[in-house]
Amino acid sequence: KRRLLKRKVSPQEVFFDKVPGYDTDIPVETIIKRTTVIPLLLGEELPITLNKKQTFCVKQSWDGKCFTTLSSDTFLKLKEASKKGGNSPNSSSSFTPSGIVSLLKKETESVVQSATKNDELEIQSKHGDSKSSVRKKRCSQGVANSTRTPTARKKLQLNGMYTVICPFSSFECSMFCTFFCNFSLQPLPGTPKTPQNATPEIPRRSCEAQKPVTILEKARLRLHVSAIPESLPCREEEFQDIYNFVESKLIDGTGGCMYISGVPGTGKTATVHEVIHCLQQAAENDDIPSFQFAEINGMKLTDPHQAYVQILQLLTGQKVTATHAAVLLEKLFCTPGPKKKTTVLIVDELDLLWTRKQNVMYNLFDWPTRKHSKLIILAIANTMDLPERIMMNRVSSRLGLTRMSFQPYTYKQLQQIISSRLNNLKAFEEDAIQLVSRKVAALSGDARRCLDICRRATEICEFASRKRTQEIVRMAHITEAIDEMFSSPYINAIRNASLHEQIFLKAVLAEFRRAGVEEATVQEIYRQHIALCRMEGRQSPTLSGVMAICSRLGACRLLLLESSKKYLHMRVRLNISQDDIMYALKDE
Amino acid sequence: MKTAMSKRRFKENSEANRECISQVQKILRERFCHNYGTGKLFGVEHQYRHLLELLKRTVIHGESNSALIIGPRGSGKTVLLNHALKELMGIKQVQMNLLEVRLNGLLQTNYKVALKEITRQLHLENVVGDKVFGSFAENLAFLLEALRKGDRTSSCPVLFILDEFDLFVHHKGQTLLYNLFDVSQSAQTPLTVIGLTCRQDILELLEKRVKSRFSHRQIYLMNSFDFKQYIRIFKEQLSLPAQFPDESFAQKWNQNVQHLSGDRTVQDTLQNLFHHTKDLRSLHLLLMLAVSNITVHHPLITASDLHEASRQYRMDSKANIIHGLSVLEVCLIIAMKHLNDIYEGEPFNFQMVYNEFQKFIQRKAHGMYNFEKPVVMKAFEHLLRLELVKPIERTSVRAQREYILVKLFLDSNQIMDALQVYPNCPTDVKQWAVSSLSWL
Repeated sequence: KRRLLKRKVSPQEVFFDKVPGYDTDIPVETIIKRTTVIPLLLGEELPITLNKKQTFCVKQSWDGKCFTTLSSDTFLKLKEASKKGGNSPNSSSSFTPSGIVSLLKKETESVVQSATKNDELEIQSKHGDSKSSVRKKRCSQGVANSTRTPTARKKLQLNGMYTVICPFSSFECSMFCTFFCNFSLQPLPGTPKTPQNATPEIPRRSCEAQKPVTILEKARLRLHVSAIPESLPCREEEFQDIYNFVESKLIDGTGGCMYISGVPGTGKTATVHEVIHCLQQAAENDDIPSFQFAEINGMKLTDPHQAYVQILQLLTGQKVTATHAAVLLEKLFCTPGPKKKTTVLIVDELDLLWTRKQNVMYNLFDWPTRKHSKLIILAIANTMDLPERIMMNRVSSRLGLTRMSFQPYTYKQLQQIISSRLNNLKAFEEDAIQLVSRKVAALSGDARRCLDICRRATEICEFASRKRTQEIVRMAHITEAIDEMFSSPYINAIRNASLHEQIFLKAVLAEFRRAGVEEATVQEIYRQHIALCRMEGRQSPTLSGVMAICSRLGACRLLLLESSKKYLHMRVRLNISQDDIMYALKDE
Repeated sequence: MKTAMSKRRFKENSEANRECISQVQKILRERFCHNYGTGKLFGVEHQYRHLLELLKRTVIHGESNSALIIGPRGSGKTVLLNHALKELMGIKQVQMNLLEVRLNGLLQTNYKVALKEITRQLHLENVVGDKVFGSFAENLAFLLEALRKGDRTSSCPVLFILDEFDLFVHHKGQTLLYNLFDVSQSAQTPLTVIGLTCRQDILELLEKRVKSRFSHRQIYLMNSFDFKQYIRIFKEQLSLPAQFPDESFAQKWNQNVQHLSGDRTVQDTLQNLFHHTKDLRSLHLLLMLAVSNITVHHPLITASDLHEASRQYRMDSKANIIHGLSVLEVCLIIAMKHLNDIYEGEPFNFQMVYNEFQKFIQRKAHGMYNFEKPVVMKAFEHLLRLELVKPIERTSVRAQREYILVKLFLDSNQIMDALQVYPNCPTDVKQWAVSSLSWL
């Protein structure tokens, strides 16, 4: 690097580093109290007056491969900043560039020992003299050095008393500076922020969200699936079972698995979260030993093996690759520790963690069985027989037999859920709530559906009663909402299709009846179509026209089509029952 | 002197006219071709209100939601959404308070690409310039973390618009949809997902977990107008706006359009199109063809322009190719038609076609079309290249060309229609076409 520079470097010169993100970056403030950095043009000398130990000058930048003079832009910015700093040197906001000294090299070790400022110059000169020897040493030390760096760094940060300036002034020009422009809050050009430090955040809104005013708006907010109710009604038994299971394991200090199944929207995840919440409160009150909590969701992983990465990150904050994470977790759960806390792990959408070898599932359920693991796993999935269906014997046997299944809600339960959410808000008629509950219970027992229908009904009600006084949601509104959500769109689509599209569907039916097979080529249907047109005395379309009609109906999936390159030999099937078409076309 | 003046006046007139015509062309062409997604709305007030209210609640109250806009192609799904968004942006509270992410199933073909695009459009902090840093897994974790940190009252609502929604369903495991819907159903950053699709069976495609998280709001666009409204749309689409520079011309033009809409032949033409498809895009195409006919000497659209445009529009593409064929090739096609009749659509080979053709020549044409076999073969290969006939399976190199099984890609109706207009068609060929037994 010195060769690249081709000039002598003054002890107080630093370089502007354009390459972001060394792992060993540490803020200069932690080493020296405060420093000043002055930008200089190439060839300029550092003014004598400023020739203090805590002043540095920057002349050139380093972009990883070669030195270049500072771009005018950067130069100006730095200059401005340094002036600002010069004017108010005492104020806390003065220019104290928390530059980052990249401790790439390890001369620091020797430097750390320099306890006073006075020693510094000597050390410098020593460095200058023994430069070549240091270099040799470095070469020989190789890898060993790099592993020692972090410890050196820690020492520096802990003992701020040490005055360490040498990394800058060392004649080894391998020391560089990266600047955080704290003073201006705008990143310097050419120094993109490192993704490692990025904070995930959605921008905040400029004005507050409006508060709900009317009863219906309040009701809607409470009925939103996302609204967290004070308690979960109708799942008391399941709650108690899970709570007892986890609590007993926590008190015993052992591990275990529990498998929870149930169709979507039956409150599995919500109940488990509620349990954890209660346990955490109990732990705060010292009723039970405290524990660590982590949660992963199979659907939120890009790959089953990422589960390891996420778990490790949630437990220890480390970020490593999947294979490494598996090793570390293995170590974490299998080595005994004197004051080891129990870990509670929720694995949501378990079926997504399936791999061919099933090693992710195997590991997850194997860890709790180890002697020192203290791991409690609550696995959640939709199907009751998942362990039997997709898991190998050795995996399902480790999962154990502690199972729980969430039954779909009955109409009474759904009714209770809505009422408890509304919590004495007079927005719904009693009958309306009952209607919704019965309807949903008959269909799926999915609480989300139930809440969505209610929410939509409040909108319909609000829309209908705009002119008149406030109204509450009645049966009619609910019926409308249910119709909107569950009515089959096909009948309506057929009724609103153009005339020839309808004739084409009739032709399809006629051809099916003629051939006795529920599949026909376009050519055959085309003939029927022409015959139908003649019967009704209409102009018959061209084959191109019929092909267009056919592909339009295919795009809506009223028809199922083969690939269109077969042209008139393309085979056509219906995607709806023949009766539906007859019914849709008859009414006119 | 007088003639010179009138000539000059005529010249000025035509100059002004030319200006007008080019203006008209410009305005109307833009309306028909470039207004994808910004055109006018017809007869969807109810749906519009529904969508607008939904979006308003998202932005003003921070309420998460999800909805699908379903309708056949060209029914104005994008237009509806764009109109709603435009009105929404007019509200002061909204302007700086909405993040928009637009995805298209045709562009974001898998989860990985979609995720990068979302991160880029949201300008999250792991984006520098236009590049998204980090691996797939990191990006996902980053995005989910970002969304989780937000809450209803203080975070900026995010609007996801998924065009060609049905293609996202085919992503592996539907993880993108799961995550979007999951956020929209939990107390995180307010997030509304609007999907646009033309498939009526879209809900059946959603996985049960994804389906449960979807709010089941569906907005259907059906082109549910009748012919009277169709005529009104026609008038509106063809009329010049009030701010047209030359007022007198605009008036004349609009009067003409009014007159046209009452014309019998125009109504027939439109009715014909209306019976074929209610899609407004095909109306635009028809009008586009008609408007192209306008010149300085023919400044107003006439009924015959529209009729001509409709004729062009309804042209059968395959039958058109027949017009350019030689008599020999037409003879071969007729021979194939007869083979199709005899063998009920079974595939045939060149030798069979040649034999059928030979029969015709021996009985009727007396050597008039007596071509050598290689010449006939050449004609047959030309038909193959035009894809009027196609081999039923992939041809191997070794297969003898005469015996490759092929199928005819024309219907007998098409052939007969094409022969009607075929220039200088010999009578005996025409007779042969009507019946393969005519030589008896």
